[in-house]
Amino acid sequence: MDSLIDMKALLAGVDVFTLSLWLSGFLVVLVVIGVRVAFATAFIGFLGLCLFFMQKQGFDRGLITAMKLTGQIPHSKSTTYALSLIPTFILIGYLAYYAGLTRYLFEAAKRWVGWLPGGLGVATVFATAGFAAVSGASVATSAVFARIAIPEMLKVGYDKRFAAGVVAAGGTLASLIPPSAILVIYAIIVEQSVGKLLLAGFVPGAVSALIYGALIVGLARYRRDLGPAVRGFTWGQRLAALPGTLPIILVVFIIVYSIYFGWATPTEAGALGAFVVLLMALWQGMKWRDLRGALMEAAKLTVMIFTMIWGVLIYVRFLGFAKLPDAFAGFIGGLDQPALLTLLLILGAYVILGMFMDAIGMLILTLPVTFPAVIALNGGPDVTREASALGMTGEECAIWFGIIVVKMAELCLITPPIGLNCFVVAGVAQDTRLPISVQDVFRGASPFFIADVVTVGVLIAFPGIVLWLPNLL
Amino acid sequence: MSSSSVLTDDTALSRADRAWLRLEAGLNLLSGVVIFLLVILAVVNVLGRKFFGAPVPGYVDWTQQFMATFAFLGLAFCQREGGHIRMDIVVGRLRGRVLWFAEFLSVVFMLLLTTALIYGTWFHFLRSFDTSLPLWSRDSSIDIALPLWPAKLLVPFSIAVLWVRLVLQIWGYWRALKTAAHAPVAVPLIEDAATVAAHEAETVSGRDG
Repeated sequence: MDSLIDMKALLAGVDVFTLSLWLSGFLVVLVVIGVRVAFATAFIGFLGLCLFFMQKQGFDRGLITAMKLTGQIPHSKSTTYALSLIPTFILIGYLAYYAGLTRYLFEAAKRWVGWLPGGLGVATVFATAGFAAVSGASVATSAVFARIAIPEMLKVGYDKRFAAGVVAAGGTLASLIPPSAILVIYAIIVEQSVGKLLLAGFVPGAVSALIYGALIVGLARYRRDLGPAVRGFTWGQRLAALPGTLPIILVVFIIVYSIYFGWATPTEAGALGAFVVLLMALWQGMKWRDLRGALMEAAKLTVMIFTMIWGVLIYVRFLGFAKLPDAFAGFIGGLDQPALLTLLLILGAYVILGMFMDAIGMLILTLPVTFPAVIALNGGPDVTREASALGMTGEECAIWFGIIVVKMAELCLITPPIGLNCFVVAGVAQDTRLPISVQDVFRGASPFFIADVVTVGVLIAFPGIVLWLPNLL
Repeated sequence: MSSSSVLTDDTALSRADRAWLRLEAGLNLLSGVVIFLLVILAVVNVLGRKFFGAPVPGYVDWTQQFMATFAFLGLAFCQREGGHIRMDIVVGRLRGRVLWFAEFLSVVFMLLLTTALIYGTWFHFLRSFDTSLPLWSRDSSIDIALPLWPAKLLVPFSIAVLWVRLVLQIWGYWRALKTAAHAPVAVPLIEDAATVAAHEAETVSGRDG
C-alpha cells in the first residue's frame, strides 16, 4: 500500500507559512481548553512537522519522518549542560524551608530597620526579598511570611490591608535576585549567556526591594496610623541577629561571585549554594522524611520545567521550517511607529496574558515568537548601540528584555483577577483567623503595583541599570 | 510532598491508579536522588579543582548523561499529580459533563502525541545502540567516551510510563463523563486559586521557624 491518504494532493498549494498561522491559532485553542502547555506546544509542533513532511513525502513516509525528527528533540535538548543548573536552584528553594531561614531573616530585618516609619513593613520586604531570592518561589514566600510577619505587624497596630499588601508584594521579588530559575530558562530558550542574565537580575531586584522599602516609609509617614515604628533594639541585639542570615547572604554571594570572577560554572555555583542550604537544614534538624519530601518536590518541578522546554522546542522546530518568527519579526520591525511604542504594546500583552497564566508557562509559550520580534525592533542581533532603535547592542537588548519580561510576569502575581500571591496571603490569613479578605490584600498591594510599573518604566528608560553589571564580565 | 487532589475508592480504576502511582513515585524519587547526587558531584568537582587541582574526571559527561534521569523519569508522576502547567481559567469554570469532556479531550491529545514520541524516541535510542560493538554503543560522550544509549533509552521508557498514566486518566474521565460524577477518582481535580492558596499554606506551615 503506497499511502492511506493522498496527502500530497490534499496539501498541494498550501504554503507552510499559512499552515503555521492556522496551527498557532489551534495551539491557542488547545491552551485555552486546558491542555497542559508543554504537551499542547509539542502536539502542535509535531502536527506541523507531519503536515510539512506529508506534503513532500506523502502520508506514510511523512509521518515516519516527522516522528523521527520529533523523537530526537526531547533527549538532545534536555541534556544540555547549562540546563543542569535548574534542578540545583529548585533544590535550594525546597531545602530553604527546612533551614529555618525565614525567622532569622525577619528578626534581623526587624531589629535593623524597625525604627523607620513602617519599619516592620520594610523589614518584611527585605526579609521576603532575601528568602524569595533563595527559594525562587514567589507564592510560597508570600505564604510563609503571611504567617510570620502579618501577626507581628497587626500586634503593633499596622493597618491590616497595608500589612497584607506588603507580604503579597514582597514575594514578587523572587525572580530577579540570583539564584533565579526563571532567568536560566529565559537564557536557554533565547540562547543567551546564563551567567550574564543571572548577574543582570541582581541590581534591578535589589532596586525593586529598595523602592518597595522607600514606598512603605513614604506611606507610613504620610498616614501615621498605617504602620508605627518599632524602637528599642540595641546595637548588640542587632549584631546578634546577623549570623542566622549568613546562609542566604552566602548563597547569593557564591553565585554572583563565582559567575562574576569565573570561579565556577553557574551549575557548580548553584550546587555550592544548595550544599550550603543543605548543611544549614541538617543543622536545624532536618529529617530523612523532610529531605525525601524536598527531593520529590524538586524532581516534580524539574521534570515539569524540562518538559516545557523540550515541548516548546518541538514547536520551535516546526516554526523554523515555516519561518513564522522571521515573518513576525519582519512585521514588528516594519511597523510605522516608534519602536518604544511597539515595545510597550508587547509588554501590555504580557500583562494581560500574565493575569491568566503562570510566569514560566507564559514565557516559554511566547518567547519563540516575541523574542526575535523585540530583537528585530532594536535593529537585529548584530546591531551596534549607535545604530539601534532602543540604544542597546543586540546582545544587551536580549539580556535587558529578559529582565523586563520577568519583572512583568512577577507583577501579574499581585493583579486581579488571579494574582496568586494575594490569594495565598488571604488564604493563610483565613487559616490563622486573621480578619483579612482577598479584596483587602489586593487593595493593600495596589501601591506596590504602581511602584512596579514605575520601576519597569525606569528600567526601560535607563537600560544601564540592568546592563552595567553583566557588561563588566 | 504537596497534598494531592486525586481521589481514591475501591474500584478497579482506583486500584490501578494507586498501583501505577507506586511505580511513578519511585521513579520520581529516583530522579530526586540523582539531583541530590549531582549537587554533591558538582561540589566535589569544584572544590577538588580549586583546592587540590583534581577535578572529577569527565564531570560534564557524567552530569549530561544523568540529566536524562531528572528530565524524564518524573514525567508520569507529575501528570498524575496534575503538576504540568496549564491555563485553567476556562476549564475551571466548566462543570459536570462539559468539564469531563474537555478533560477527556485534553488527555486524548496528549496520548496521541506520546504515542508518536515513544516511536520517535525509541528510534533515536536505536541509532546509538548496537550489540555487536563494545559497550553496545555506536556513539559516546566527548570527554570520557561514556555510551549515550542508556540515557536515550530512559526517554521512551519514561514516556511509555506516562502513556499508561494517560490511558488510566482517559478511563477516569470517560467514567466521569458517563456517570456525570461530581468528584471522580484517579484524575487530578481542578483547584481554584483559593484552594491552591490553602494547599500552599499547608505545605509550608510548620517549616517557618
